[in-house]
Amino acid sequence: MKFLPRCFLLFCGALYAVLVASDAISADPPLGLPSIPVPSDNPMTAEKISLGKQLFFDGRLSADTKVSCASCHDPAKGFSNGEPFATGVGGKKGGRSAPTVINTAYGTLQFWDGRAKSLEDQALGPIQNPIEMTMKLEDVVKRLNGIEGYKTQFKKVFGTDVTSDGMAKAIAAYERTVVSGNAPYDRFKAGDTKALSEAAQRGQKLFFGKAHCSACHAGPNFTDNSFHNVGVGMDKKDFDKGRADISKLAGDTGAFKTPTLREIAKSGPYFHDGSAKTLEEVVEHYLKGGVPNEWLDEEIFNIKIAPTEKADLVKFMTEGLSSPDYPDHKAPELPK
Amino acid sequence: MLRSMAFLLCGSIALTAVAQDAKPTTVLGGIDNPCGVAVQGATGHVFIAAHSGVHRFDPKSGKAHVEISGFPTDIYGKGPKYNIGPLGLAFWDDEHLIVGDGSRPDGDELVRIYKVGKDAAHKDHEPIKEDAAVATLGPIKASEESAKGEGNFYGVASNGKSIFITCNGDDTKGWIAKSTATNGKPGALKLSIATKVATEVDAPVPVIFSLDGKDLVVGQMGEVSTPPGDSLLSIYDPETGKLKKNYKTGLNDIAGLAYSPKTKKLYATDYSWSDSKAGGLFRLDIDGDSIKAVKIASLDKPTACAFDKNGVLYVAVFGTVAEGSDKPAGSLVKFDSGL
Repeated sequence: MKFLPRCFLLFCGALYAVLVASDAISADPPLGLPSIPVPSDNPMTAEKISLGKQLFFDGRLSADTKVSCASCHDPAKGFSNGEPFATGVGGKKGGRSAPTVINTAYGTLQFWDGRAKSLEDQALGPIQNPIEMTMKLEDVVKRLNGIEGYKTQFKKVFGTDVTSDGMAKAIAAYERTVVSGNAPYDRFKAGDTKALSEAAQRGQKLFFGKAHCSACHAGPNFTDNSFHNVGVGMDKKDFDKGRADISKLAGDTGAFKTPTLREIAKSGPYFHDGSAKTLEEVVEHYLKGGVPNEWLDEEIFNIKIAPTEKADLVKFMTEGLSSPDYPDHKAPELPK
Repeated sequence: MLRSMAFLLCGSIALTAVAQDAKPTTVLGGIDNPCGVAVQGATGHVFIAAHSGVHRFDPKSGKAHVEISGFPTDIYGKGPKYNIGPLGLAFWDDEHLIVGDGSRPDGDELVRIYKVGKDAAHKDHEPIKEDAAVATLGPIKASEESAKGEGNFYGVASNGKSIFITCNGDDTKGWIAKSTATNGKPGALKLSIATKVATEVDAPVPVIFSLDGKDLVVGQMGEVSTPPGDSLLSIYDPETGKLKKNYKTGLNDIAGLAYSPKTKKLYATDYSWSDSKAGGLFRLDIDGDSIKAVKIASLDKPTACAFDKNGVLYVAVFGTVAEGSDKPAGSLVKFDSGL
């Protein structure tokens, strides 16, 4: 995340108030989260967010008009898809799981391997991916320009017909409203001693201590926004090289972005390859120190904790990081 | 309207500015992976910690020799990989140099204090052996507070009463260790400030005292594998360990800090691990709760830095080994007085 000057954040705060008044989706950042960073060339407006939401849920952005962003980033499934891999047009399967959109507004580099430098940069990727939405950008633009409702909104928001640049900005603006905070963890941290159960409190202590989770899952969004080889899938002959394919650094081999743990109870299965069905399996993986390999992160090592402590750790993540204000967005009415 | 307002507001505020008018001069080359710099007040000699040992450079003669040698080798990184030895340097008094270790595994690393004298007498003799220290602090073994024990003692600060050492062992805590002197002798090295708990950012690296000695000034490097501008400048009370101020600098990987004794300005080096072109020497201008990093000069992976009493700034530069070469690329550069 690039640092934003204080007065800009104050401006963003004022903008949130405007958005609330305009019946927009987002409001002030929830308890426990900082203000959302917004790039200077894509300020948030209620109309743009609304447009982005329509695009996000619209299958007409895909070749068969059935696969939308929300197909793999379903609000009902933690803004993932509940499956090990992303599923595209014709049921084609990708090689990695669909990362949650929740709080990705706070991320720096996007995708599991960080190949996109911003949400705007990311937004058009899946549309063009041959095993996801399978469209050429020019074809999507042409198709959407044939839909009067989109043409009208693009004119109002961007002063142009439908463009790929406008699509990326609108989708990114909407994704910046998919935010989850004000979880029991946040309220407990703010002084509400009853916000977490005793088991979750014990789990919290383990999370930030002996279980070593906070070495990577740190900060308000429970991610360091960095890339680590945590020994997942490294026993396969043709393992996924992850970040190294982008950075070209050998040390990044098998490294993937640290995901947020906010709303983790809803967004399984877990890991970049969806290989862990439950959080209990995730915990077991880490306690064993992952699959040994040349590039294994030094923060991954054998840890001994009792079975009751494992349960406490999972309790902290499921209870402590699940917000009553979960962004359970519904598909909007789409333009015709 | 909102759009144009946002654009104007953002456009009028610069996080970092560029004032690249200072030119570095290389005073010593061919150093293998230099990471620490300290200037001896009485002589003006510059001590540089590198993989091969601690070097002493005499600015008057322009000559250098290895002052302390025999450190083991540890490897940093998984590709690129770097051989590292001693890391952080600071003077305990005019004759005694504190050396933070990076040459052993976490949990085994040491802080050594050597009598280096004032006259560079060792240039004609055998270097001091690594284990011939007058005092040894640590190791800090694995415990409830540090899963694997502590190591990579990159930053060293001393006021003659206490020694502060930045540690990079347990990444859930980001410890700074402290040794408090009794009757002029440094005491046991103990875990003192959990910087990651205080700031939620990884890796305390450089540490110095403020000019009035009342504050401990720490550069928090953040994650090295991405360039998110996540480095912090954090101010702690050295007595209580309490965080007093925390600034988001916008720099990528702060590796060195130094106050100019002449202008009282604060300077930082940015190693910028994953985007070395963005790295260099920066001036940090603090105004209340805001900070602005002004780029002074581009440098290829700068690490530690230190001023002499006349305001000359010395910077250790890691450098990049040329493809196919096995010659060390590290150097010591200086910026003439004026910063």
